[in-house]
Parts: sequence; C-alpha cells; structure tokens
Amino acid sequence: MRMSIEKFIQRAVTGWMIGEGEYSDIVMATRVRLARNLRGYSFPIAATEAEALATDKMIAGVLLDKMCQQEYAYIRMSNLSRLDKEILVEKHLISPQLTNPKRQGAVVLSEDETVSIMINEEDHIRIQCIFPGLQLEEALKQANEVDNILEKELPYAFDEQFGYLTSCPSNTGTGMRASVMMHLPALTMTKQMNKIMPAISRLGIVVRGSYGEGSKALGNVYQVSNQVTLGKTEEEILEELSNVTARLIAHERQARKNLLEKSRTALEDRLYRSLGTLVYARLLQSGEAAKCLSDVRLGVDLGLIEGVDVSIMNELMIFMQPGFLQQYANSELTQEERDIFRAKLFRERLLIDDVLPSTKKTTEE
Amino acid sequence: MICENCKERPASVVITKGYMGESMDHHLCEKCAFQSEAFNFSPNEEPLSIQQFLAHWFGGGDPLQAQPKKQQTGVGQLECPGCHLTFGKFLEIGKFGCPTCYDTFHERLPHVFGKLHNGQSKHTGKIPASFNELYLIKRKVEEIRLNMQKAVEEERFEDAAVLRDEANQLRQRLECGGEDADVD
Repeated sequence: MRMSIEKFIQRAVTGWMIGEGEYSDIVMATRVRLARNLRGYSFPIAATEAEALATDKMIAGVLLDKMCQQEYAYIRMSNLSRLDKEILVEKHLISPQLTNPKRQGAVVLSEDETVSIMINEEDHIRIQCIFPGLQLEEALKQANEVDNILEKELPYAFDEQFGYLTSCPSNTGTGMRASVMMHLPALTMTKQMNKIMPAISRLGIVVRGSYGEGSKALGNVYQVSNQVTLGKTEEEILEELSNVTARLIAHERQARKNLLEKSRTALEDRLYRSLGTLVYARLLQSGEAAKCLSDVRLGVDLGLIEGVDVSIMNELMIFMQPGFLQQYANSELTQEERDIFRAKLFRERLLIDDVLPSTKKTTEE
Repeated sequence: MICENCKERPASVVITKGYMGESMDHHLCEKCAFQSEAFNFSPNEEPLSIQQFLAHWFGGGDPLQAQPKKQQTGVGQLECPGCHLTFGKFLEIGKFGCPTCYDTFHERLPHVFGKLHNGQSKHTGKIPASFNELYLIKRKVEEIRLNMQKAVEEERFEDAAVLRDEANQLRQRLECGGEDADVD
C-alpha cells in the first residue's frame, strides 16, 4: 500500500502524458474532478486543526482500506519539502491550494498517477482523475468508482435541493468540474480564439489558458471546462462539454489545413525556427520554450517534423517548469541558471543518440 | 488599492472566485462587491423582510435611502449556528463555512445560485446511494401519513391502524440509520 514519495517526484512522465488516447494530436488530457464534503464538519476554510485532522483520518482511512484495484500512496503536505510540493503541482496531481500550510492537506495518489484524491483542499474531498487524450466518460466513471466507495462509508453533506454541498457556491450541485486540455496553435495563430472564447462562455463553458494567468495561454494550451454545476446532470454537462470540444477540434483542424494551404512556407519557417531554437539555444526562458514547443508539436502533428515523440514533448512541457528543473539540477536555481538548465534539458531530450530531429523535404511535391 | 470595477473608490472587499481548484481574487469596493455579478442582490427583487418592513415604518428618514442599508445589516447579520459565518461575510468571501450554512441561508441561496448557474438552483444530478435509500423511506412515510389521515377522516379506523403500524416500522428503520437518517 505504501509507496515512497520519491517515485512521484522523480517520474516526469505521469499517467496523462503518454500521448495516446483519442484526438491526442489536439486534446492532451481530460480531467474530471468531484468535490465532496462531510456532514457535521466545517469546511477546511473554517475548520480547526483538530477538525481537519479528524476529517483527514476518516477519509484517508476509508480510501486506504477500501481501494484495492491498484496501489495508492497517502502523502501529507506537512511531510513534503517546498520543492516536492511544487513538483506535484506542476504535474497537476495536486492543486496549489492544497499546499496551504494552515490546512491539514493530504493527497491519496494512485500508482499510475491518474487518480488523486485531495483531502482538506477547499473541500474535504476532491476526487480527481486525469486521463490522456479525450476520455470524458472514462474519467467520470473512474471518479465515480472512488466516490461510490467513499459514500458508502462516510456521511456526505448532501441536500435534496442543492445537491452536493461545497465550500464555494460555484461548485454546488454535482460538485463536478470536467475539463479538457487542448493544444490550439492554429486557432491562436489566426487570432480566432479571441472570438471563440466569449461565444463559448455563453454556453456555460469556460475556456482559459492552462498555464499562466487569465486568458493568456502559455504554449497555446487551453483548458475548456464546465462552469455550471447546478441544474444539470453529470451526463448532460459532459455532453455539452464534449460538443464544444468536438467543435473546437474541427475548427482547429480546419485552421491547420488553411495555414498549410495558404501560407505553407511561412508556417514551415516558423516551425523550423522554433525547432532550431529548442535544439540549439543556450538560454531558454519558459515563455519562449512553451511557444517553441507548441510550434514543434504542431510540426509533428502536420507531419513536417519527424523524430520527436509526442510523449517527449509532453514530458518537456512538465519538465521545463521551475520545480522540476531544480529537482533535475538537484539544487535551487536562480532565474538565469534555470534558463541555462532548461536549454540543456531540451538539447538532451531532443538530441537523443546525437540524431537531430529531421524535417521532411518540402520540395517533394 | 482601487476597486477593480468602478476604479474610483478604494477596494475593501476581496471576492475570490474558484474554478478548477484555482482561484482568482477580485478587489472591489463595498458598493461594487454588493452589486457584483457573483452576488447580485437587487433590493427590489427581494421580498421585504420583517426587519426591512419595520425599518420602513419605524426607521424614519428617507425610506429609499434607508432600505439598502437596512437590508445589509438585517440579512447580512444572519449567522450560521454551525460555523458562525454571517451572510454578509459569506457575500464578502464568496465561500460557505460549513454544510449548515446552506440551511441557514437557505432562502437567499436560489438567488445566489441563479446568478452563478444560469438561473438554476435545483440539483438534478447524482444522489448518494445512502441518501437515496433514506429519502425513499421518508417519502414513503409521508405517503402513509396522508393515507392514514384520509382513513381517519373516512372513519376507516382499522385501515388507519394498519397504516400507523407500517409507518412506525419505517420510522424505526430511519432511526436505526442513526445520524445518517437526518436528511432534512
């Protein structure tokens, strides 16, 4: 049952990063999160330390006792170093909120890192399942399995009218947030995202940058998720999200096709320059790395660039973040040291066996 | 810091909106916070509370001016017995303190949820299995009680006695469920 935390910290490739699953050229990962709370206990925001420890004990007890499909590890935030916590956040296995030292945060993580159950985050329980590619139903099914185990043993805070009671009123009802992580470089390049985002928000679906603040999407990676959690069933919410996702995929495919047809040389120039930057740069800032990585990924998807594995690009996306870099370097790094290290990391990962990723001859047609 | 919305008055309220485990803080002045998208309460839409009603008659001064103020103090001071969060504080922080808050602020919540969830305030999704079972028993007890009343009115006392025994049995089952049975 017990696994060492080192395993989760050192592995860069996590369950959702394998680069498989449906539509994996555009949809990188699917996440479903269920928020649950226990009746008779204050939410973590208002709980005393004793109360938080009591809820932690109850929840972790049930999880470690009843979940036997695969191995799970129980990790208390107070036992982790700052860097360890940062790495778990960078892998999307925990949220930044869980690391709040005032709360007795803990996480129960599955061996393959696709299931994480956060204890005493904003809610007592947050069941999170991350799957590679587009797998909304599968992720919900997995989350429901954990939920069904917990609901048998624990007194859930549930109300006939309002459904699952959560600390934030924006989660009340199903307590479910489903989200799809999408790589939309062509829609971004052609400035269509600015028009699409407000239109989608009217459907009760939110689109925002997956990394970084606000609508700025670092590396053209967007998070598409449901906003409404009340008045709709889980299945209805997933269907709506799935419809929007399908439309975004179709738009992105069309935009890629148009770019190739109308400005092939300009596109190739941009993508190859980015590949060059990643392979030869000696100083790589995170913003530039994310942009170039997005270009190379597009190049691979379009069949223009060969010899770069999708899973390596996914891995680099996680690895290029500050926490991982410092783990890799085995020391604290200043900003400039990080940029040097990041450049070194990209060179090493992209130049496996000293073979340059190749670009297809473009004069063939 | 100046209010993000009106950019005039100083910001005194932080509204935290949470999505996907991330949260965004909005620094607003009291006026804008009260009128903000998340927690928009138009005084005109609210039925007059007793306090407001009394304030209108006994508060003196200009009722149109007095009303919003009284509303804030009256409703805002409604306090949850579970965690001592007031409704005013709930609007300020945008978070409930415990499950009991939902009961305490029950009447106000459809408005809050309506704003947040496209006009919806009734859950239609998953129901915990344990809750479902108890809920069904409760509904059955209620049904029997109505039938029993009818039987008494129609002077079918033997039927009523059978129904009473049936209801008592179910009630016992509810009580055996311990605390879990209390789903009100």
